[in-house]
Amino acid sequence: MDPKLTVVSQLFERFKAALVRNDFDTSTNLLSQLKVLLTEFRSLPPLFEETPNAVHELTIARDIYEHAVVLSVKTEDQDAFERDFFQLKPYYTDARNRLPSSSQEYPILGLNLLRLLVQNRIAEFHTELELLSSDALENPCIKHAVELEQSFMEGAYNRVLSARQSVPHDTYVYFLDLLAKTVRDEIAGCSEKAYDYFSISDARQMLLFSSDKELLEYIKEEHPEWEIKNDFVFFQKAKESAPCKEIPSLQLINQTLSYARELERIV
Amino acid sequence: MATIVSSAGGLLAMLNESHPLLKLHALSNLNNLVDNFWPEISTSVPVIESLYEDEEFDQHQRQLAALLVSKVFYYLGELNDSLSYALGAGSLFDVSEDSDYVHTLLAKAIDEYAIIKSKAAESNVESTTMDPRLEAIVERMLDKCISDGKYQQAMGIAIECRRLDKLEEAIIKSDNVHGTLSYCINVSHCFVNLREYRLEVLRLLVKVFQKLPSPDYLSICQCLMFLDEPEGVATILGKLLLSENKDDALLAFQVAFDLVENEHQAFLLNVRDRLSSPKSQATDSTQPRSTDSVSAQNESTTAPDDVQMADGNPSSNVNVPVDPLEIMYAERLNKIKGILSGETSIQLTLQFLYGHNKSDLLILKTIKQSVEMRNSVCHSATIYANAVMHAGTTVDTFLRENLDWLSRATNWAKFSATAGLGVIHRGHLQQGRSLMAPYLPQGGAGGGGSPYSEGGALYALGLIHANHGEGIKQFLRDSLRSTNVEVIQHGACLGLGLAVLGTADEDIYDDIKSVLYTDSAVAGEAAGISMGLLMVGTASEKASEMLAYAHETQHEKIIRGLALGIALTVYGREEEADTLIEQMTRDQDPILRYGGMYALALAYSGTANNKAIRQLLHFAVSDVSDDVRRTAVLALGFVLYSEPEQTPRIVSLLSESYNPHVRYGAALAVGISCAGTGLSEAISLLEPLTSDVVDFVRQGALIAMAMVMVQISEASDSRVGSFRRQLEKIILDKHEDTMSKMGAILASGILDAGGRNVTIRLLSKTKHDKITAVVGLAVFSQFWYWYPLIYFISLSFSPTAFIGLNYDLKVPKFEFLSHAKPSLFEYPKPTTVPTTTSAVKLPTAVLSTSAKAKARAKKESDQKTNAEKVAGPEASAAGSNAGKGKSSSEKEGDSMQVDSAPEKKSEPEASFEILRNPARVVPGQERFIKFLEESRYVPVKLAPSGFVLLRDLRPTEPEVLSLTDTPSTASAAGGSATGQQGSASAMAVDEEPQPPQPFEYTS
Repeated sequence: MDPKLTVVSQLFERFKAALVRNDFDTSTNLLSQLKVLLTEFRSLPPLFEETPNAVHELTIARDIYEHAVVLSVKTEDQDAFERDFFQLKPYYTDARNRLPSSSQEYPILGLNLLRLLVQNRIAEFHTELELLSSDALENPCIKHAVELEQSFMEGAYNRVLSARQSVPHDTYVYFLDLLAKTVRDEIAGCSEKAYDYFSISDARQMLLFSSDKELLEYIKEEHPEWEIKNDFVFFQKAKESAPCKEIPSLQLINQTLSYARELERIV
Repeated sequence: MATIVSSAGGLLAMLNESHPLLKLHALSNLNNLVDNFWPEISTSVPVIESLYEDEEFDQHQRQLAALLVSKVFYYLGELNDSLSYALGAGSLFDVSEDSDYVHTLLAKAIDEYAIIKSKAAESNVESTTMDPRLEAIVERMLDKCISDGKYQQAMGIAIECRRLDKLEEAIIKSDNVHGTLSYCINVSHCFVNLREYRLEVLRLLVKVFQKLPSPDYLSICQCLMFLDEPEGVATILGKLLLSENKDDALLAFQVAFDLVENEHQAFLLNVRDRLSSPKSQATDSTQPRSTDSVSAQNESTTAPDDVQMADGNPSSNVNVPVDPLEIMYAERLNKIKGILSGETSIQLTLQFLYGHNKSDLLILKTIKQSVEMRNSVCHSATIYANAVMHAGTTVDTFLRENLDWLSRATNWAKFSATAGLGVIHRGHLQQGRSLMAPYLPQGGAGGGGSPYSEGGALYALGLIHANHGEGIKQFLRDSLRSTNVEVIQHGACLGLGLAVLGTADEDIYDDIKSVLYTDSAVAGEAAGISMGLLMVGTASEKASEMLAYAHETQHEKIIRGLALGIALTVYGREEEADTLIEQMTRDQDPILRYGGMYALALAYSGTANNKAIRQLLHFAVSDVSDDVRRTAVLALGFVLYSEPEQTPRIVSLLSESYNPHVRYGAALAVGISCAGTGLSEAISLLEPLTSDVVDFVRQGALIAMAMVMVQISEASDSRVGSFRRQLEKIILDKHEDTMSKMGAILASGILDAGGRNVTIRLLSKTKHDKITAVVGLAVFSQFWYWYPLIYFISLSFSPTAFIGLNYDLKVPKFEFLSHAKPSLFEYPKPTTVPTTTSAVKLPTAVLSTSAKAKARAKKESDQKTNAEKVAGPEASAAGSNAGKGKSSSEKEGDSMQVDSAPEKKSEPEASFEILRNPARVVPGQERFIKFLEESRYVPVKLAPSGFVLLRDLRPTEPEVLSLTDTPSTASAAGGSATGQQGSASAMAVDEEPQPPQPFEYTS
């Protein structure tokens, strides 16, 4: 066996062990070393050279990146997640017909979808979705994410929040927590437009908080412009701060009329 | 099965990794993928840019990042950004890579570099802003071109970028130095727009030339002429003349002929004066020489003959006993001086034009008959047409036969009728003055003719001696000074201006100026033009003096003359003239703006300079004065004559203008720039204009058409035939407007100009502009205001001949091949009058003259022998000369007809033709000319036309000369023979019979 490959395998074993131990510092360190080592394999993307150990190398590289993704979820680092996922993706798409499919593929794709949902990047979410085959859509991990998106769009926020109970994979929990916050932001944005004020208790119910304290903390952090008076939350200030632009209707009408008049003159 | 990469996303993600090795890996892979994935990468450009700017990053990686960004920008079409990053990529940007990216960026880099360089050169500031990296790239490119053997590219880039050091390197390293040098000369003329810089390039070329083991003297001297360095040329010629080898002398002669062709009189005189006289002679023959010339001068002032032009030098050499080398040198020196003064070529041309004259008198006869007697415009137009048709042939049969008719010309018509003789006898340097003698002012005697014929005669003298006025200028000056009749002053000014063209003689300038300051309209106009002619191309500060007077005077004529004169002074000065042009074009007086247009035309003549074209087009559509607009369009013709194909395209819109003046200008612009080319587009553009609704547009179009079609045979373009028929129709039509009728008459003159043996050529064969020709056409285009200026067109005629010369500058028998159907380039068939009766007339007319001439020749041949011995019965001698000339020409004509007769019968036309030296070779024919291999003579320079020196491979055999029996040769031989005989013949010439009576206006 190729000595380099041996080195990588050994290092990878140590990395996995560290990951199981939840020793994130060590594992991040090891991962970085592994990635550098991987750049030396010419069979990996984007070169895809046909070396004798190509399949083996590709498999191990894929494994490494899959674990890297998991690690990033565990460390709750969205940037690292995105980075690792993009590096992993060629193994799923371009090298699809050279490797046996991975058991981790759908959970990770689902995770990515969730991430996009959380970051409210709906366009990219649908792009990713279009790239998946119909079989993949049947997979519970993907299905879960798709259903979440639908509920999210419909405004059935309670369904979104209850989905936390039925996660197909334990790594999903992190994103679902984040999703809850996204949902809350959406609700807050809407209420602000729809109502002039709320009673504290209504607001707590509406924003899905379990206690008033959490609500007040949230308001303080995210919406300092909201006013709290006599157990009521007033949105007035926020509305004033962003007045909608007036349409210069009279001017437009005048212009249109003069155009019409001149058009008639021409003919 | 290869796996295809579908996205660069993974690699882009890797760029954000913290480990530098990963970034490097991503960068290098992206760099390979960028051609396919640039849209994806373009979104991450900021990230890559920050990598490039990251100071902590390794140098190599930063360059890689720069290269990547550069490529992305290239694909995005942001070439400027792309270039600046490519510069950052340093050595990673590989100039030898064969990809679109590299090609595009290299072009961009070179452009950029050239722009910076030329800007720096223009502002004369040592540029500190030059990016050394940019310079490095360009240098790398240059080195690569040179090492790959792509010398032409390397030279092109070097010239463009003003890197003369590299240019020199490229030339020296190239495998075919002569080829590259001539290429380089060509390039510098075609593409280097700035005059200063072009001179620099040429100077470098000369330097390189001189380093070569076997220099190409022809090219060097051309360069030197451009640089206006007569010393250099003189040294080279001197060296060649001193050589033992006869071939070197031949080469020197060839060089001289080539220089003469460019008609740069002042330069040629300079070269001639600098040629050192033989050393031994310098000591002991100075005395006789000077006395000799003094006596010659005396002769010239006292007696009206100018045979002394040849100076009798050969005779004075004979009595100096020195070693053979010196004798040989002296002999050669004389020859070359003769060539440089232009006399040799003029003489040979004259012989050629006389001998090959094929003008069709019947055309003139038809015109004469159809023109109404009372219509003086058409009457004088016919006289103009006759003069142009016979320009330089010395054949004035038509005038002699129609003296009665001719005498109807009065006043200014008489002036131009007399001046017409000058055109006909153009180049007849030896006998010019004696020919005109009857009409010249007879100092104080008062018995002379009218001032009109006297003025015309002075003008005629100028035309005869145009650009070669050494011998005549003193006489013209005296005539100018001694008269205060404005008509005579007019003629004298024009004549003097022509004779001293471009010599910038201060004394003469003062003489003319005093005429100008008399503030007489007629004389002042001519004085203005004359000053311009004198100062052609000198850009002297005299221009501002002239401009000041133009503001002062009240006479429009004077202003116009001065405006044109000022324009002439800036001839060919390009950017140097810009201030003056600016001043003139901004003037309030439309006549001065009109002069400004001419200044633009002449300063940028033949450069096709974009700026000038833009300015002219602007004036053509925006000026308020019709005159200015017309001239602006017309001026385009001058700017563009080096690229005639361009002109029709540029003026095509203007030719459809609503303004007839603009249409007229467009027609003449095409006529000027496409003159003699027979360009199909030009003809197509002019055709509709010849039937324009406005009479003067028709006139311009007809003239322009004739200029384009000169010497084009019907076989090569059928429209020539229809145009001839159209001309005939217009002339015969009673109801046609006078203006267009005049145009048609002039057009038929131009179409058959110079006995059908000349063309209008503004560029010499070496692509230099011919000053005389351009100036001639510029003044010619003034005929709108002043008909006598039509004669200036004769300056632009150049004979289409191949004249081979041997060491003695004689024309030996020599044959060569024209590898094309003879009918393509033959003379047009002589016209026949449609009715049978007049068809008979033609042969009888011809026969009668020839018979008469023959009879006379026979009768007088024995008298001639007597005349030579006794030198007594003078009148007959010259008569015999003329008669003999006529008979010989008839003979030649006969033989030609004999030749052509069987040709017509043999149906499949021969695909080639053997031409005999000297032969008519029209411009279109030049590419078919081939020299026979087994021939006795080998040309020194492989030129298809013009004067070519022939090397004799069998010098021991006796030479057979052709063209020895024409009168001009006889007189020329007389001139260069021993002094005794020379004077005898001169005497004979002197006593030439007066032209018949009615020609003298004794009213």
